Amino acid sequence: MLAVSPLRDTYTTRDEKQGEALDSSTNSCTISFSSSINGGDAFPDFADSNLLDSIDFDDLFIGINVDGDVLPDLEMDPEILADFSPEDYNSDVNTSVSVDKSADVDDNVGNGTNAVDQDKTKPAEVEYDHDNVSGSGSGLDSSPSESVARNNGASSTNTNTKEAADKGGGRKSTSTAQSKNNFQGKRKVKVDWTPELHRRFVQAVEQLGVDKAVPSRILELMGIDCLTRHNIASHLQKYRSHRKHLLARDAEAASWSQRRQMYGSAGGGATGKRDVSPWPVAPTMGFPPMTPPPVQPIPPPMHHHFRPLHVWGHPTVDQSLMHVWPPKHLPHSHSHPPPQVWPPVTHPPPPDPSYWRSHHQRVPNALTPGTPCFPQTLATAPRFATPPVPGIPPPHAMYKVDPGNGSLTNGQSGPLPFFDFHPSKESVDSAIGDVLAKPWLPLPLGLKPPSMDSVMMELQRQGVPKVPPSCA
Amino acid sequence: MGDSSSASYIHMVHHLIEECIVFNMSKEECMEALSKHANIKPVITSTVWKELEKENKEFFEMYSKSKKETMRDHHSTETNHVRTTDDHHHQN
Repeated sequence: MLAVSPLRDTYTTRDEKQGEALDSSTNSCTISFSSSINGGDAFPDFADSNLLDSIDFDDLFIGINVDGDVLPDLEMDPEILADFSPEDYNSDVNTSVSVDKSADVDDNVGNGTNAVDQDKTKPAEVEYDHDNVSGSGSGLDSSPSESVARNNGASSTNTNTKEAADKGGGRKSTSTAQSKNNFQGKRKVKVDWTPELHRRFVQAVEQLGVDKAVPSRILELMGIDCLTRHNIASHLQKYRSHRKHLLARDAEAASWSQRRQMYGSAGGGATGKRDVSPWPVAPTMGFPPMTPPPVQPIPPPMHHHFRPLHVWGHPTVDQSLMHVWPPKHLPHSHSHPPPQVWPPVTHPPPPDPSYWRSHHQRVPNALTPGTPCFPQTLATAPRFATPPVPGIPPPHAMYKVDPGNGSLTNGQSGPLPFFDFHPSKESVDSAIGDVLAKPWLPLPLGLKPPSMDSVMMELQRQGVPKVPPSCA
Repeated sequence: MGDSSSASYIHMVHHLIEECIVFNMSKEECMEALSKHANIKPVITSTVWKELEKENKEFFEMYSKSKKETMRDHHSTETNHVRTTDDHHHQN
């Protein structure tokens, strides 16, 4: 088969060329080899027709046992392939076609169909349509599975595939599915990623480590015959990108909500009277066991604003991660309205958390001190938060609330990280810039200011007689 | 005159330090940041920080404690993760 595939391509692509070359050629050699190879599409790149003459196309088939079995005797259900184009069918059906077809092969070779690569199924392919399958494939009836499958009609490819695989008598059912997928370059079996299937996928991925998850291993772990590596690979790709997307959005939401909360409370405390004791605020900077952050537009009581620095295991904003992914597989899931508001999210059914949460538990804190770029760090932070937190309002909702605080203006660009990694230089810089530019802004923490005398004394002791110093 | 400008300056430094605390920075980091971004001499930052600490002792105690815990948690998490990963590797 390996030898065959290129030929196939060659043939398909070169058919036109073949025609042209032949037409342009003054020689009448066209006919000679068309009979020996299908479609006469040997290697038409030889513009010189003499080459065509000189080529012994039979040599092309040396490696191919045209009369015999090219492939192991796979049980391919013709019905399965009914949806496929003739070429595909041709390449696949050979497995199930019995040997007695081989007799017909040669005759059909020159039929202009793509018969080179596979033997046997020529008759079927020649008049490829469902009706003729049975007619030409008299040998097909010999296999009970085939007939049964055929009786099913060319319904779902998947179904037939499974049935054929199952009924294959354990005969390389896996390879059947895979070989089928491998055969057709044009058609892939559409995998239906049901929640259950996806769950197993996620389990496998998590087990391997999402970054280390290799499709072949995942396939092994999942142990599902009907999936190919390619299916897994593309699903994995989608999974990863979606997760990143969700994490980023979630992180952003988290940062905004935290910020809002902090400023809300701080603003409430600091605005107006500076005498407000910071104590209600300060203690929360420790690690009070944070209840799931009340991420609603109304800032909760002031105690909440400092998110614990270790937000890792914290059941915070994991909710967003529960986002529907894949969205299209939740038709049967619950119709509970998406608590979170991400526009693209359709509905996050409760099962979804299980999709994601399991591997979230394990997600490491990849942040190290000095990790720059706050939004990204946030992206990783909530990765292993656990229970979904309902209702994370989108950032713009939070913005709406902010001005209400009075303390936080939208000019405040630096997010409040409150994680144990270091904020980006940019956010620090912008926060500092804000303070410098708008000294009237209230203090974020509202700490008790130091006594001026004490400060000045201390500064003078340190050798700074004058503030602001003339030279920085 | 000099006093008020000093006072406002010190107040500004105070404000900046609070911002740094919001970013969970240490005193040293704060000194560096303020020096870099606001052109404030580290000694001034340090002094104001210390004075703030005096005035807000409990807050700073909590703050440094939480930072320590965070670092510990952070490290242990990493360690755990690494271990876990290794286990997985071994199993596989």
